[in-house]
Amino acid sequence: MAMKIGEKPFFDRVDDALDDTFMRQSMANAQDGLRGKKIAATEGDEAIGDWEDWRSAGEEIRRHTLENLDYYLEQLSENFAKRGGHVFFAETAEEANAYIQQVAKKKNAKNATKAKSMVTEEIGLNEALADVGCQVHETDLAEYILQAEEGDRPSHIVVPSLHKNKSQIRDTLKEKAGYSGTDQPEELTAFARSQLRDVFMNADIGITGCNFGVAETGSVSLVTNEGNANMVTSYPETQISVMGMERLVPTWEDLDVMVNLLSRSAVGQKITTYVTNVTPEVGPQSVDGPKDFHLVIVDGGRSKALGTEFQSALHCIRCAACVNVCPVYRHIGGHAYGSIYQGPIGAVLSPILGGYEEYGELPYASSLCAACTEACPVKIPLHEQLIRHRQIYVEEGYADKSEQAAMTAFGIGASTPSLFKIATKGAPTFAKPFVQEGSISNGPGPMKLWTKIREFPAPGKENFRKWFKEHKKGDSRNE
Amino acid sequence: MKISLFVTCLGELFYQEAAKDMVEVLERLGCEIDFPRGQICCGQPAYNSGYRKDAQKAAKQMISAFESSEYIVTPSGSCAGMFKEYPGLFQDDATWHEKAQKVADKTYEFTQFIVNVLGVEDLGAVYHAKATYHTSCHMMRLLKETESPFKLLNNVEGLELLPLENSYDCCGFGGTFAVKMVPISEQMVDEKVRHVEETGADVLITADGGCLMNIKGRIDRKGKPIAVKHIAQILNSRS
Amino acid sequence: MSKGTIHNRDKFLSHIADRLGRERKTDVSRPDWEYQPQWAVYQEKTSDELCALFNENSEEKGTLVLETTMDQLAETVEYVMKTYGGSPMVATDDGRFAEFGLTDVFDENDVHIWDAELGERNIEKAKQANIGFLFSDVSLAESGTIAQFNDRNIARSVSLLPTTYAAIIPRSTIVPRMTQVTARIHKQVEEGENISPYINFITGPSNSADIEMNMVVGVHGPVKAVHIVILDA
Ligand code: SF4
Repeated sequence: MAMKIGEKPFFDRVDDALDDTFMRQSMANAQDGLRGKKIAATEGDEAIGDWEDWRSAGEEIRRHTLENLDYYLEQLSENFAKRGGHVFFAETAEEANAYIQQVAKKKNAKNATKAKSMVTEEIGLNEALADVGCQVHETDLAEYILQAEEGDRPSHIVVPSLHKNKSQIRDTLKEKAGYSGTDQPEELTAFARSQLRDVFMNADIGITGCNFGVAETGSVSLVTNEGNANMVTSYPETQISVMGMERLVPTWEDLDVMVNLLSRSAVGQKITTYVTNVTPEVGPQSVDGPKDFHLVIVDGGRSKALGTEFQSALHCIRCAACVNVCPVYRHIGGHAYGSIYQGPIGAVLSPILGGYEEYGELPYASSLCAACTEACPVKIPLHEQLIRHRQIYVEEGYADKSEQAAMTAFGIGASTPSLFKIATKGAPTFAKPFVQEGSISNGPGPMKLWTKIREFPAPGKENFRKWFKEHKKGDSRNE
Repeated sequence: MKISLFVTCLGELFYQEAAKDMVEVLERLGCEIDFPRGQICCGQPAYNSGYRKDAQKAAKQMISAFESSEYIVTPSGSCAGMFKEYPGLFQDDATWHEKAQKVADKTYEFTQFIVNVLGVEDLGAVYHAKATYHTSCHMMRLLKETESPFKLLNNVEGLELLPLENSYDCCGFGGTFAVKMVPISEQMVDEKVRHVEETGADVLITADGGCLMNIKGRIDRKGKPIAVKHIAQILNSRS
Repeated sequence: MSKGTIHNRDKFLSHIADRLGRERKTDVSRPDWEYQPQWAVYQEKTSDELCALFNENSEEKGTLVLETTMDQLAETVEYVMKTYGGSPMVATDDGRFAEFGLTDVFDENDVHIWDAELGERNIEKAKQANIGFLFSDVSLAESGTIAQFNDRNIARSVSLLPTTYAAIIPRSTIVPRMTQVTARIHKQVEEGENISPYINFITGPSNSADIEMNMVVGVHGPVKAVHIVILDA
């Protein structure tokens, strides 16, 4: 299923979303709740000093890491392999999947457990493993719910099931998993816990993403609240961690800063309940640790951003703070973006990874209010990158021809004072036929789109320049 | 103090009353105002839609118009914010970049200029109404101006300023976004109007022509009895 | 673990260097960061204040905090055993239990001590246990977090599988925040030591807010947590 969600065109997806009242209400509630929590744990927490300094620290670390990405990836892989791990560099999703399939086949694996990971969603790993007879069990509660629903997709990078309410969840689990309880979250959660306990123990492979790789030791750092990352990395004989190639830090000291930024920005916690750091084991093996540990490092189009203005998009730590403040996401939810990466970062990232043909409209799904840029813990100038995408979209000729013509006319108009003068003078006369009670309800041409939902102001009758001239004259007379 | 008025295209075409009020307020504060005739539009519609070249044309026009000004003052946080983007438009052109930087550095939004440059917070205004204030995104986040409008409004006699729920959310204007993404923009402005209504205010005040046009357009379309005013209109009021 | 392998690296990294518009880099030194706000956090706090913060933050996450002294530790541990369901119980294979005089209580109450030689049976024991006992290696005041450097003896299953985890926290292990732990690990690395394969930071019982953003405690890890803070250790 990979990165793309749904087959419908963008505006149809938007219409579907706008019709879904529950979904929209839960997005708004989630945003309002998370915003308060996040602010309390960031700007609002005096104990950590100035949050802006933390953001700058995060940006500094991420920038340096990306600028020297080849070096740190080499270090990471070297250290991982030195301790007995296997590293596979995959340029594409297909390469990553093929490698993982091969590992599964070699182990004759039938069952795998997985902790939540967006990059495995992105490459469509579950389907790839199913193809070789290995079933992947999602263990993050939200992902577990989506998986039960067969074909449901994430609508939020941190809480993938945000669009589902508890009675929908109850019905799904009833139908697909034999659940017979109420729609109380406690009861639903307890059911998932009991269902998954044995699944954890019996899995042949444990799959995780990677919140941060630590180059200096070859460690994989995982951030969760449920404890599923611990379960997934403890009991299966084989562990496979899949990492977007940009998701690493040089040292443990840097990990500290990033985990703090992530925990506080994503969920308003000082630290998530679990920060689980796994490094291939040297010496005699633990009973509760993997015997075989693979790290799959995926490009998947990320390198297209390197060396461009979009490089800083790779600084992203997937905290969803930008999603949680986005007024567009608030109303259309995640699925309307048509990508597993939604909200502002989704609108920046999806066209980079998946191209303009597929995702070129997403950068326009923003009013450029810059709430995202303000929220981002690593200071990615998201709204500027959205504008940059629009520029490329236009330069590469994707934009609508009539819009192009209108903008050319705008350019001429806005740089030719004499034309503008004629326009301002002519506006009241020109608009006259459309004016009713001081405003325009049904405008001509491009104004039609405006007046579909709002009144358009009637041009003022007076000419401001003339007024100003007269006014100044009055001034000098007074002197 | 000598200042140049950048009235903005929306101000010139639609909100002349607000523009006049702004002129009067500034004059009362002892400013000597001129109106550079070459000014047109800051180019934001083109810039935000991805038409960088066309935006550059508009920018050059504006830079030339305001080059020799001492201070540039405008009744729109968003348009002031666009002036601040100018240097970025000319990264490959040293001459224009330098000019753009100079223009950007001396540009102020109206309330920002009064409070931060002139150091005045009480304009002796009188306006009897229950009102709420819409903080425009660009003023708040690009210009980082969050306090000046409130400082000035808090000193308006007779004005009861009510807090606006979710004040930080965008009203759905976003320039061409309002016509490109009509269904989404509609939901955004509806939520904004709902929150405004919930305050019980009779007047919504804002310091941005774009937001004003959008929110007022929706309020009027829905026939709600709420007036929408530019902040200059309040600050110049004496009754 | 088997001998490590690396596949496809050269081509992959050369492509990155290409995109970055330069040659491959083989030597990079990490700069002295301009911003390092982490060090200042709680620097001025006394150890009493840090301890109080640790307790407060533990409680905020629903963890029971019991303050005790070396003299009364065994008693406190027994109290925890009674309160949280008693046998079956497990503990890590950690010399500190003997040092802290807990051998007898563990014996008397039939606590299974993790024994790497017993293999999978340990996991069964831990799964069935009501309580898992362990030591916190470093404890974070900022968030009420315990940190464990796990290995085959100090097994992570003990804090993960039982219904309740009970961590023993000598007051001297309390530091301001994660910064002090990661600095220690970083130093270890610089001195050429191998780090623990499983470094776990745990802050109270497992939980989730995935269903309509309602906080539910007890998902895949423990449902309850106890922090036994020894004031004079
Ligand atoms: S872009 Fe920034 S705010 Fe958005 S998910 Fe990434 S790190 Fe978080």
